[in-house]
Amino acid sequence: MIFLFLISGLFLGWTLGANDASNVFGSAVGSRMLSFTRAAVIASFFVIIGAVAQGTGASETLGRLGSVNAIGGAFTVALGAGLAVFLMTRAALPVSTTQAIVGAIIGWNFFTGNAIDTRSLTQILATWVSGPILGAAFAFALYHFVKGIRKKIKIHLIRYESYLRTGLIIVGAFGAYSLGANNIANVMGVFVPSVPLGTTNFGLFSLTGAQQLFFLGGIAIAAGILTYSKRVMMTIGNNLLELSPEAALVVVLVQALVLFIFSSSALSSFVARIGLPPIPLVPVSSTQVVVGAVLGIGLYKGVRNINLKLVGSIASGWITTPVTAGLITFFLLFFVKNLFGVEIGHATNPVKNTGTGMDFSVIIKYIIIGMLIVTSVYLVYLLRAEKKKTDRLNSKYY
Amino acid sequence: MSLFTRTTKELTVRFDEFFDTVEIGILIFKEGVKAYVSGDREAFQNHLSRIDDLESKADALQRSIENDMIMHSILPQQRTEIVKLLWQLDEIVDTAKGSLNEFYIEMPHIPGSLVHDFISLAEVSGNAAEELMPAARAFFREPHLVREKLIKVYFFEKETDKAAFQLRKKVFHEMNDLSLAEKAHIRYISHHIENISDTAQDAADLLASMAIRLML
Repeated sequence: MIFLFLISGLFLGWTLGANDASNVFGSAVGSRMLSFTRAAVIASFFVIIGAVAQGTGASETLGRLGSVNAIGGAFTVALGAGLAVFLMTRAALPVSTTQAIVGAIIGWNFFTGNAIDTRSLTQILATWVSGPILGAAFAFALYHFVKGIRKKIKIHLIRYESYLRTGLIIVGAFGAYSLGANNIANVMGVFVPSVPLGTTNFGLFSLTGAQQLFFLGGIAIAAGILTYSKRVMMTIGNNLLELSPEAALVVVLVQALVLFIFSSSALSSFVARIGLPPIPLVPVSSTQVVVGAVLGIGLYKGVRNINLKLVGSIASGWITTPVTAGLITFFLLFFVKNLFGVEIGHATNPVKNTGTGMDFSVIIKYIIIGMLIVTSVYLVYLLRAEKKKTDRLNSKYY
Repeated sequence: MSLFTRTTKELTVRFDEFFDTVEIGILIFKEGVKAYVSGDREAFQNHLSRIDDLESKADALQRSIENDMIMHSILPQQRTEIVKLLWQLDEIVDTAKGSLNEFYIEMPHIPGSLVHDFISLAEVSGNAAEELMPAARAFFREPHLVREKLIKVYFFEKETDKAAFQLRKKVFHEMNDLSLAEKAHIRYISHHIENISDTAQDAADLLASMAIRLML
């Protein structure tokens, strides 16, 4: 029965593997510097390792945002996020699994009357903004460094390319590890509070209940990579092909670093130990970090016209994706609870009405309702604009 | 991985070997023209057979480099342009060999007063091609130096144009003792020598744009 409920999460994992593996090995496979089979096997292996070894941190942050305490609720939340990703992809709108799952959890909070942990929400929102910015800054610095080295060492271009090729494999493996570590929370994070699995000892090592779930999620991501990512790599990867191999290496490294930073408990504690504020462990959209990195390289090259449409698409994704996912989840929870009578969980921290004025969570609630209305209008506008464009093209050519 | 490293090493060696072959081919061409116009037939024959061997070697190297680059998917983004560059460099040796063969087959009569002009023309035209080689080598190791190395190619190409112009002007305006057929023949031969610097200039243009793209 548990496995039946896990299906929505596993499906989410499959879509994540199919789509996001191109951020790691897309440019290498698209440019035929690396065979798809080799890239897929490396990515699958390291995604699972990353998910099991380092997936807990980001998952705990999502848990603080909303601890979905019934497996029916967790199933619906993952399904809501998956549906939002599917529908927005179909409508050609910018979408990210990371933002969808956060929206879906907020939808669950609203439905069950659970108060939103504003600290976690602020951390998550701040990370979404800082992820691409950090990506751009890292890419700028790293690209400058790589170019400097290239100028200093008089190495033959063919030899240099062979080093880059090896580098792409190593960095790609690191990228896959970070993707698993950071994004497994999107796939299995919501199931952690509601699936009571004990620690299992395998002799040489033991896995906690959460790690066993992450292992399953990792396998789902790996299945997505092995079965469907080739098509994405050959199309989206070919767009990245316009980057030089050294730029591709920098982009993948930056993506790996940013995702690693936002998922490493050890790094976060180390930063806290030296007196700095600890790094929040939050799932970050790998695609948005990649776009940020590409923009960073563009800035280094002195591109005057930054693609504002691209920047706008990232920013709009921060709002449209969670709101759409939250809305879908809210309605799904209503049907699952009232139509099928499935337990979807209850509020562990109900919203308190003190009567002394609005507390912060109520303000957030109103902000989200406002965002919901604005997004709905925006979505309708986009769909109408798209339809108009299609009609115009059809009338022009037929 | 070891197989790949070996291929990379072998390929870099073959690139250098190809450049060496083209460079020696240009030197042999200059010596060949010098030998013919000076009347040293034995030296000319030696140079002719050497440039023939070098041309075959350059062809074989060009083909093997191209095959390996495709088979091992080496430099996929620059491959088309590199292959084109190799083709143009090989074209220089082909043109040089073609010119010496024309001397051999058509045995043009070069009057004593034109010996110096022919040697100068072959020298500057060959220099344009010769100066291309450091730039081509730099593309693979120090692409930021390519443009400054190409300056000499453009300089010698212009000098070749001037030398060819002076030679033809001298033939048609001053040497009335030559028949029109002889004048036309000399013009034709000089045109072929001039072609070497023109091919070098085309390769230089390609190399300059390749270097800019690589540095972006």
